[in-house]
Amino acid sequence: MSTSPLLEVRGLCTWYELRRFGFLHQGWVRAVDGVDFEVARGEAVAVVGESGCGKSTLVKTLLGLLRPLRGEVWFDGRRIATATDLRWYRSRVGYVQQDPYGALPPFFTVRRILEEPLAVNGVRSRRERESRIREALEAVQLVPPEEFLPRFPHMLSGGQQQRLVVARATILGPQLLVADEPVSMLDASVRVEVLQLLRGLQQRNRVAVVYVTHDLSTVRHFCERVLVMYAGKVVEQAPVGDLLADPKHPYTQALLQAIPDPDPDNARRLRPVPAGEPPSLVRPPSGCRFHPRCPAMIPGVCDGKDPPEFQVDGLRRVACWLYDAHAAPVGSAQR
Amino acid sequence: MTTLLRVEGLRLYFRTAAGPVRAVDGIDLEVARGRTVAVLGESGCGKTSLARAVLRLLPRNVAHYSGRVWLDGQDLIDLPEDRFRREVRWVRLSIVPQAAMNALNPVLRIGDQVAEPLWLHGRVRSAAEARAQVEDALRRVGVPADYVDRYPFELSGGMRQRVAIAMALILRPDLVVLDEPTSALDVLTQANLLNVLKTLRHELGTSFLLITHDLATASELADDIALMYAGQIVEFAPARQFLPHPQHPYARALRAAVVSLREDRTPQPLPGQPPSLLRPPPGCRFADRCAFRFDRCSTPPPRVRAGEGEVSCWLFAEGGSRVD
Repeated sequence: MSTSPLLEVRGLCTWYELRRFGFLHQGWVRAVDGVDFEVARGEAVAVVGESGCGKSTLVKTLLGLLRPLRGEVWFDGRRIATATDLRWYRSRVGYVQQDPYGALPPFFTVRRILEEPLAVNGVRSRRERESRIREALEAVQLVPPEEFLPRFPHMLSGGQQQRLVVARATILGPQLLVADEPVSMLDASVRVEVLQLLRGLQQRNRVAVVYVTHDLSTVRHFCERVLVMYAGKVVEQAPVGDLLADPKHPYTQALLQAIPDPDPDNARRLRPVPAGEPPSLVRPPSGCRFHPRCPAMIPGVCDGKDPPEFQVDGLRRVACWLYDAHAAPVGSAQR
Repeated sequence: MTTLLRVEGLRLYFRTAAGPVRAVDGIDLEVARGRTVAVLGESGCGKTSLARAVLRLLPRNVAHYSGRVWLDGQDLIDLPEDRFRREVRWVRLSIVPQAAMNALNPVLRIGDQVAEPLWLHGRVRSAAEARAQVEDALRRVGVPADYVDRYPFELSGGMRQRVAIAMALILRPDLVVLDEPTSALDVLTQANLLNVLKTLRHELGTSFLLITHDLATASELADDIALMYAGQIVEFAPARQFLPHPQHPYARALRAAVVSLREDRTPQPLPGQPPSLLRPPPGCRFADRCAFRFDRCSTPPPRVRAGEGEVSCWLFAEGGSRVD
């Protein structure tokens, strides 16, 4: 087993061009703007951020659906960002979409939905296909398989649809699963079921998972590490326990304070929330992108220069000038 | 504590090709003046239909609509539609519908939209008067006064949601129904908006009926929580009892399934799914998924006291009250 990371993302920038009348260049939307991280083999990493922070653009770039402007994505030692034929890559990466109903073709039966990836990737033998379809259904607890095989997506509940999406994403035995808000459209009682299913697959089959979510409360039991994104950048990455117990970046702190637990005292107090809204990604503020809202802003520093990622307490990286004195910058992050 | 809204035996069925869907199936509910009641339930349990039934905002395919609704002692069901529209809807009872931020008219300026109820109900005589009231209403929900002249597309989602709330509050109703007011918003925007609602409650003394699927959101505003399952209320209790000690087996299972940020327990999934509202089971509707099911559960459960609240469950019959 190789010890190199399974997925390596270096200086990734995915920008969308803004045009007027279809051709006049108006600027760029810097949706992903200089992102570095690794995912180890079999590791579950959560990418957390609010809408518009660039997390979906990041996912699409990782899947090879969008071409980055700059930067690289390496998968198992091969570079994917600029590769022209990505079939080898797609058979090793599974994608779990946010909206299960939208992700499943409505006129395909469960059998056909699961057969498609096998057929595309050259599994010719009928018997092998059949047994792999059954295995996949059993792995996501859609049992007995006979009962589900002839059904259409609309005949399944939301939770069952999402489990079918997971089955489709894992049927080729991928090394990486990219799950984009896999439970945000599901009810509370079903949510845990799908998350535990993903966690089980990750641990049993040693599949790495990139779990994208806006909801920090779901990461605790289902991931090893968390990346927090704000306005196109990763502001903090840390092991999940450390991040939840002791958030370092002021944005992470604000995010954690804003999330309520079901406590009857909540109704009697106001929650501290930083003023303002995330900045425009077309003209982001100079310096740290959080500085206009940051309670700990250092005038003359935070508004001037973009903070590099500082190494804090060994495994953690925080892009914030507050940690400048504590540690040396991570070399690769200084650009 | 005086009762502001009282609902008794409310039923609302919708006509479909497969037969009537019993979205709201015999609901009793009380909202005291100045208090906030959260109607908590998962998708398809009928919580939005309940809100519509209370406001008489009914679609065309209603198969059956019955029960009683009183607002401040006045019977709302027998009130003719034109009087309901003139005297009750928006004047004393308003709603912030689901995804209200996308319901604003894109070609009208914010100020003109918020002022519309003022003109329709003859509350203002001049444009200057209307503008002053609109600015005041916007300020209360934290929207800068100069947004009056902007169009909805110039505002972020959180700001548009605040505008919708300002519209619902502009005639100073006694009760505002909030249908999932924060569910489409980001974490920080959500917290911000809940702060606004909390402040409004104190400043204006308005009662809220909060419709939500999220236990944590309910805990942010609710004095009382009504838990719905398959068209019925299965538990009604003060939040201070419901949140730490839910009683009904469904309430407990839901509480155990909720993933929370700070609690150190592993969430437990709740297997199965709610029954079809086309043909709900004759007895307790949760019985099929219930770990405590016994033979009596095949008949409809009585509503009985449990601590400071009430539950519809056979486990609590015989006067047994099991608040841990």
